[in-house]
Amino acid sequence: MTVTEPGGARVGVVPRPAEVIQPVEAGMVADQSRTAVDWPAALTAGGACEQQALRELHGLMLRASRHQVRRMHGLITDLGPDRCDEIAQTAADEALTVLLTKLHTFEGRSRFTTWAYKFAILQAATEVRRQAWAGREVSLDGTATWTEPGDGPEGEAVASDLAGAVVRAMELALTGYQRKIAVALLIDLVPIDVLAERLGTTRGALYKTLHLARTRIRAYLRAAGYLDDGGNS
Amino acid sequence: MSVGPSADQVRLLTTPAEPWLSCDDCFHLMDVVVDQLVATSRPVEELPRLRAHLRACPACAEEVDSLLELTCDDARVDSAPARAALGLGDGALPR
Repeated sequence: MTVTEPGGARVGVVPRPAEVIQPVEAGMVADQSRTAVDWPAALTAGGACEQQALRELHGLMLRASRHQVRRMHGLITDLGPDRCDEIAQTAADEALTVLLTKLHTFEGRSRFTTWAYKFAILQAATEVRRQAWAGREVSLDGTATWTEPGDGPEGEAVASDLAGAVVRAMELALTGYQRKIAVALLIDLVPIDVLAERLGTTRGALYKTLHLARTRIRAYLRAAGYLDDGGNS
Repeated sequence: MSVGPSADQVRLLTTPAEPWLSCDDCFHLMDVVVDQLVATSRPVEELPRLRAHLRACPACAEEVDSLLELTCDDARVDSAPARAALGLGDGALPR
């Protein structure tokens, strides 16, 4: 079982917590009357209280992961309902593992349920993206395959002017690595999690590279008179 | 007419993302901001940074949108005002 850390790091094989091996009933929703203070206390209370809290929390995680898989189902339409639910179940299990290692970081600034949901959402979304791109090659040579500009005067103007400047900015202002990342993420539309996994890096590191690339492109366009000081084209 | 980037591609390549917020920071903040938007009418201090990041990072935008939808379902409230405050749903970015 592999686990996605917030920020996208894959932290390798993590044993499934023994406490949650017993499955919760489908559709089970946790006791939302617990307060933000109650949840961490219950999850570390030991005994039957802790077991009950873990089952309820797993129910919450499963609800969130199924919700996420449903939202992104359009990316994995070739997978049947059983496989989709298996993805959600696995994501809930893995997200619970991550959450329990982060329990001490819960600050009570949000409701515990909202804090918990995000772990399951991240895990499920990452897995759906991975499934959607399984078996698909990702080109990393930094060569953009441009699509034809839209019809009409507006499209032609973009193609001949600003768009040309953007192409030059990519050639002149970006490093090879920045160009490769920008092309993969923004032209080839490779999901950032998928690209991170293929390159052995993290979502956070790729986003930082992308941010720097965009900053350089915008600076080039500003210097060339295509953006004003307010950043408008 | 030569082949070149489409208007959408130009927009993606030039999307401003200031003030800076990392994906890790976005994950750290998302539950706090979502709960504040859903449950209170207080101004949300971190909103500008989060909004800028979501405009530039479609994966984080998808996950925040999903969290917001789930939280609004629990609270039985309309998610539209909070989605608008976060700038969600106004782009056609990949997720």
